[in-house]
Amino acid sequence: MFSPALEHGSRAFYRQEFERLRREFEATGSGRALLRDRTQFVDKLVQQLWEQHVSPVVRSGFALVALGGFGRGALFPHSDIDLLFLAENDALRGRMKDPVRSICQEMWDTGLRVSPTTRTLDDCARFDHDNVEFTISLLDCRFLTGDAKLFERLHEKSLPQLVARESDVLMQRLAEVTRTRHLRFGDTIFHLEPNLKDGPGGLRDVHVSRWLELIMALASERKWPGMANPQPNSETDAVLDAMDFLTSTRCCLHYRGNRDENVISWEAQDDLAKQGIATRSGPVSSAEWMRSYFRHARTIHRHARQMLEQIPRKRSSLYRSFQHWRSRSSNEEFSVVDGRVYLQQTVGARDPFVILRLFTFVARHGVALSVETERRLDNALRGLADTMPQDSRLWEHLREILVLPYAADALRAMHSLGLLTLAIPEFEAIDSLVLRDLYHRYTVDEHSILAIEMLHRLTTSDEQWLQPFASLLAELERPELLFLALLLHDTGKGMDGDDHVHNSAQLAAAAVERMSLQEEDDQTVGLLIAIHLEMSSTLRRRDIYDPETARELAHKVGRPERLKMLTLLTLADIKSVNPEALTPWKAENLWRLYTGTANYFTRSADSERFHAEECSAQVERIAALLPKRRSQLLKFLDGLPQRYLMSHSPEQVLLHFEMAKQLRGEPVQLAVRRIAGQHELTIVTLDRPGLFSTLAGILYGWGMDITKASAFSNRTGVIVDSFYFKDRFHTLELNPPERERFQKSVVGILMGEAPLERLLESRLKSDTKPARLKVETRLRFDDECSPASTLLEVVTQDRPGLLHTISSILAHQNCSIEVALIDTEGATAHDAFYLTCGGVKLTREQQRATEWALTTELDDSLPSTW
Amino acid sequence: MTVTEVRGHGRQKGHTEFYRGREYTVDLLPKVKIEAVMPDRLVDQAVAAVTNAARTGKIGDGKIFLSRVDEAIRIRNEERGEAAL
Repeated sequence: MFSPALEHGSRAFYRQEFERLRREFEATGSGRALLRDRTQFVDKLVQQLWEQHVSPVVRSGFALVALGGFGRGALFPHSDIDLLFLAENDALRGRMKDPVRSICQEMWDTGLRVSPTTRTLDDCARFDHDNVEFTISLLDCRFLTGDAKLFERLHEKSLPQLVARESDVLMQRLAEVTRTRHLRFGDTIFHLEPNLKDGPGGLRDVHVSRWLELIMALASERKWPGMANPQPNSETDAVLDAMDFLTSTRCCLHYRGNRDENVISWEAQDDLAKQGIATRSGPVSSAEWMRSYFRHARTIHRHARQMLEQIPRKRSSLYRSFQHWRSRSSNEEFSVVDGRVYLQQTVGARDPFVILRLFTFVARHGVALSVETERRLDNALRGLADTMPQDSRLWEHLREILVLPYAADALRAMHSLGLLTLAIPEFEAIDSLVLRDLYHRYTVDEHSILAIEMLHRLTTSDEQWLQPFASLLAELERPELLFLALLLHDTGKGMDGDDHVHNSAQLAAAAVERMSLQEEDDQTVGLLIAIHLEMSSTLRRRDIYDPETARELAHKVGRPERLKMLTLLTLADIKSVNPEALTPWKAENLWRLYTGTANYFTRSADSERFHAEECSAQVERIAALLPKRRSQLLKFLDGLPQRYLMSHSPEQVLLHFEMAKQLRGEPVQLAVRRIAGQHELTIVTLDRPGLFSTLAGILYGWGMDITKASAFSNRTGVIVDSFYFKDRFHTLELNPPERERFQKSVVGILMGEAPLERLLESRLKSDTKPARLKVETRLRFDDECSPASTLLEVVTQDRPGLLHTISSILAHQNCSIEVALIDTEGATAHDAFYLTCGGVKLTREQQRATEWALTTELDDSLPSTW
Repeated sequence: MTVTEVRGHGRQKGHTEFYRGREYTVDLLPKVKIEAVMPDRLVDQAVAAVTNAARTGKIGDGKIFLSRVDEAIRIRNEERGEAAL
């Protein structure tokens, strides 16, 4: 190792040797070898200086000990050299001041930064609560030269006793210091220019893990771990690989900056990648290099977290030391102890459905996995590769996980254990994938999970400007589809090519087909991903107040529900790029674009109608299902609003068409089905005055709570009315014969064979008005949005029989309902009616009369305009 | 060049919107403000570029204000004038 040709001991000699070590590192790239060689070399140097300055003065009672990185045998090129001059007593310490000073001076002159401390043996054996860090630093002590017996007394007796006695305090302090350090870096490994020493997932986390392991060993065994097994037991190959990566990188940074540099700057990332530092394959792109960095940082972060988990929690004096706090959320498969989930001993970690239920549990309760559970899952991973379902059985669990409040925690845990990519292989391509620019702070996989987390946190956010979006999320009927789209929306970035949107859509199509989503659902997910940049792009480039902008966006999304989903997807996508990406300004613009487009859906319902001679691609798809009856189908559709086509699937349209075909024989066609916890009643019949009001009354009379409804008519006067309702008293559910009686009742009343009033009589007696009106009634007439009718928007407190009340008043005012769009959110009813009177728009007087009638009935008060 | 998210209005002022029965008055519209400093010889080119990119022909397209900058100084090395840009 040493070149014998040079004069031994000269400063120039040492400088040349350090330079030679540097060149060796540059040739081999091995940080581990460099640290070992540098350490050995500096060992020789300090031993030589000791011989020169201390040995002539004293031969016993004084020793030189390495601490810190030097003590660990890992001396980085520009790290301080931590030396402990250990004296038997104070007198010796005083005598050795000058020799110590000389040694340090020599080392400085050689270009080495030394950080010396002189202590007695008693000092080291004493525990100072205000300087716990010194005791922790002694954990790395290593004998260099001098009185070996003195060092032995420190190492074999004083230290083990001290650590065993104070182990709790030491571990708690380490945990606190680590937590503070992590918080300083935002408690995330994701930084554009990470600090590989102090940042989460950095070298300091490795040291903390090792110290904790040492403290626990000393506390239980009262002696140091054996030399036969110098590596801590907990360090897996992955952790060791990660340490090698960081070590070589840090060596390179030190040489590059010619100082103790630990931040991987933007420029440094380019250099490291170009030189292929710490890669097995030589030079790589900067993005690929950073991908490796994040993978390794994640490994170390997880390892450190696991070690910190093993610190016994502080207990109050009320708890006995052998008792654990067991959560009430424990069940026969999983138990929660001290805030961590354990698999019950009888439960197998190799059963993929147990695993999926485990993560559903995590998503529901937000508790982290225990170290033991993680280890059991790690061991089961290979077997799970063959048994983890990817089909509808997966979707059955995944759809539940995605909508639970701690879905992101569950997905992260699955991902870190390699289980998410087993379930959804498409996710593999974006594992730790870096988009290397100043805008994207997170890797693509973390960004996707963060987006899901962001939406779940909307409801608890105290940012006022996010509240409208929280309300929107609560309105979604199928939130699991939105979350699935978020999970998959950027998977295409892992494929070659510039069009990640197209790639993502393709990957998602394969995933949803495998999971056997229903056709409507997979179309929704596919559409959301295919146009997931549409609103962002519109915000940047278009005038969001231009009606044309709203119209184009509305046509792209097709339905109000999908518009809500796309809006929330856009919000989450922006917010999870970096912490500053979503500003209140951007959020407000997004909200305005949403409301403008939502209003377009409502206000164009009457004006944009289907014309048989202008057949769209969508209608062609429907017609292709009935090629022999195409002209009849087009005749049925002629005059129906485009909104009708947008809000019904091809199968539903065909069903309505078939029902319309039966009208000659049966003038009232109806279909009732159960859907997602509610019932859907569809009526196809010829229009007549008061029809909508009558239908609403029938449902009210039966005790049904209408949540949504729509009413459309075609050019020939055939109406298609759909009512979605909750069976308040479970009449249809609990009494199957009542279903037939219900249908007969509908037909009978519509045919005039039975009076509606009798049905309503008992209902009106039993139902009471709400005790206090919480929602103010607001009415608005709009004469501009439709060429042929007047739009009336009603917002009021929902109550039993509300729709019947409103539609009866409209009928009483001689208003015909051309189109109705009925919606309920919580306690608020949002109803939109396109009205005509005598075939034309309402006059101003008719509007005022209708407003008077509605307000006095709904609000028990005069209209605000009076 | 510096880009800032701002709110403002020209002669078009704000307007009133309705959503679900609720009235929203938008007095100040969201705009993007771009400030760019350049040598005099590039001004016409820059104005043409911004105008062509931003014009829709409708109210609310925006405005360009030209003003003189007395001096430009690079803090790092005290370079002045065009060299500092």
